[in-house]
Amino acid sequence: MQIRRAVLLLVLLSAAFAGLGYRLVDLQILRHDELSAKAQHNTQREYRQAPRRGDILDANGNILATSVPVKTVCADPSLIGSNSWAVAQVIAPLLQLNETAIAQKLTPRSFLAKNSDGETVTNELHYVRLAKNVPEETWQRIFAAMTNFTFDTQGRKLSRMEREFLQNLQWHAIYAEADQLRVYPNGSLAGQVVGFPAIEETNQNGHFVSQIVGRDGIEMAMQKQLSGVAGWRVTETDKAQHEMVAWRDEDVSARDGLDVVLTIDSAVQHIVETALADALQKHTPKSITGIVMRPRTGEILAMASLPNYDPNQPSTISPESRNRVITDVVEPGSTFKIVVVSGALNSGVVKLTDEFDCEHGHFAYAGRVLHDHEAYGMLTTEGIITKSSNIGAAKIGIKLGADELYSYAWNYGFGQRTGIPLPGEARGILYPVSKWYKVSLAQIPMGHGVMVTRLQMQYALAAIANGGWLMRPMIVSRLQEHDGSVMERYTPQRVRQVISEAASKQMIEALKTVATKDGTAAEAAMKNYVVAGKTGTAQKAENGGYVPGKYVSSFIGFFPADNPEICISVVMDEPKEGYYGGKVCGPVFRDIAERCASYLNIPPDPSLTTNTPPLVAATNSGKGQMP
Amino acid sequence: MAKNRKNQAAEIRFGPVLKVVLLCALICGSAIGYVWQKSQIQKLGRQISEREAKLKQLNNENKMLADQIAFLHNPVMLDRRAKALNLGLAPAQPTQVVRLVELPSNPAQDNARQFAQRPVAGETP
Repeated sequence: MQIRRAVLLLVLLSAAFAGLGYRLVDLQILRHDELSAKAQHNTQREYRQAPRRGDILDANGNILATSVPVKTVCADPSLIGSNSWAVAQVIAPLLQLNETAIAQKLTPRSFLAKNSDGETVTNELHYVRLAKNVPEETWQRIFAAMTNFTFDTQGRKLSRMEREFLQNLQWHAIYAEADQLRVYPNGSLAGQVVGFPAIEETNQNGHFVSQIVGRDGIEMAMQKQLSGVAGWRVTETDKAQHEMVAWRDEDVSARDGLDVVLTIDSAVQHIVETALADALQKHTPKSITGIVMRPRTGEILAMASLPNYDPNQPSTISPESRNRVITDVVEPGSTFKIVVVSGALNSGVVKLTDEFDCEHGHFAYAGRVLHDHEAYGMLTTEGIITKSSNIGAAKIGIKLGADELYSYAWNYGFGQRTGIPLPGEARGILYPVSKWYKVSLAQIPMGHGVMVTRLQMQYALAAIANGGWLMRPMIVSRLQEHDGSVMERYTPQRVRQVISEAASKQMIEALKTVATKDGTAAEAAMKNYVVAGKTGTAQKAENGGYVPGKYVSSFIGFFPADNPEICISVVMDEPKEGYYGGKVCGPVFRDIAERCASYLNIPPDPSLTTNTPPLVAATNSGKGQMP
Repeated sequence: MAKNRKNQAAEIRFGPVLKVVLLCALICGSAIGYVWQKSQIQKLGRQISEREAKLKQLNNENKMLADQIAFLHNPVMLDRRAKALNLGLAPAQPTQVVRLVELPSNPAQDNARQFAQRPVAGETP
């Protein structure tokens, strides 16, 4: 009997141990992967560490674009239960949002979804986004309000479950995700150069990860350098979702984006934009553009196009406010005469003193009659520039020849992009000689039959100011870390020498006569500096013909003429109250030039100044002495 | 001669007792030490978390203040403010400027630099 009992006990115990053993094998081996994943899911958390987008700075370190840390306020409706209205009453005033809309978002709901096995299941909604771009202080107030949140218990003591529910509601139902907001402290200043951003969102495990992506200007062109690289952290949390730092597994910090330092000087940009705004009010053109460049380096100090836009309000941006300096092509008109005359001087085809018969304003060539705005007789090459004679320029073009003319135009950079690192730059149109009409040889020298961007025209004149050397336009000066350490520096680049230094000097002599009382831009003359420049007044071409009364007026010049420091271009599209380039754009040029000269402390031309204070030479000891 | 069993039972043997006490103390000490260590890890972990959050907050505040300084230094803002305050400020005329002629330390380098090109504030060489 006793043996039988012992055997029974042994069998029962063996069965029990076998059962336990099987369970152990089942849990530890057969379902290991599934349960291990479940356990990890319960405790392990992976956080993305968003990089801070780099700033865009002007040449003096002034901020043109920066990223401000903000919060995206989110909620887990499953933790709110029937308190959605009460919670909405607390947070809606702080977020300055509609209470009903917030309460609707907070109401718990479920949705149908497919699980990993392809079965349709009902899931509770755990994530709703209540507000974006919430300042840190506002979030702190929301957090404080939520931790003090309680519901009416009607005097009774809360059960354990109710206490747990309240605790989750207070601490976890409303939470914030770190985000950043792109801010442009100067509003529309250099807006088209800086560009504007858009937010791109990707859904990662039910959470939206947003990234700022540039849509125009430097924001777009330098997207890769500005955006940085995201980091991540794999760690474990306790039941209350507090991180257990000791169990932090992987921790890779985000690499912030680099700061992009531009060659733009915000003070010069401000000078240009205010001068253009005044001219816009006076002449009400469809658009007006201005560029300030250093001819020796190709650095662009200012680039503006009105109407412009404020990157802080991307929704208000229209195609009208594009950066026309690089996107739009127009017939340049008389400013293009610098190409043919400088080319002819360089080739030795003409001299400044050579005389041309300007046919008293009517010149028949290749079945067409060319006109001048005034009837001129004999004019020297210099006089052709001074008076901006179309017939004179056409005759120089004919003397130079089609191949040479095309070659100079190409070498000055027409028909090609300048290479400025801004999106949307147009090539312009310069047809090869094989596609020219016979009259093209006479029309192109006066700026018809070619299409150029405003920047290309400035680029060409800057080459003349720079001893014939074409410099690639620079808008980005360097890339640096946030602490100022330079990662990459961009240096001025010579593209090619288009004309010799001697030819450029002769050309400058001719251009100096334009801003005089005999020239076409007396209004562009400055008090203390000799200006060299060229006016342009091009009739607009539309639907295969020239439209009467519609002009593109321009003045491009540089100063001091014999030692050029800055080159300025002003172009108006369809100005009213006058349309000659010298009359409408000349005064704007002078206004910009005088203010820039004062700001940049450019020494005046000694030949034009009287009562100049004496120069003081600094000695090695640091004490000044009179020379 | 064998010892009296009664007397033998009454005798206190300190060696084994001490061993037991020491063993108990060791086990208790280890347990307490283990728990204390875990508690310290937890506490330090929480402190690290708090300080990381504080550091982040301070960095954000620092950035905000730096932006504020940059905004106040901004020439555009200064120009607007000077105009708003109607201080009667005007650009100096070229005839009012006294110029220092600096002797170049490296003439080749100095010639390459434009007059209007200013050294950049805060630039790291």
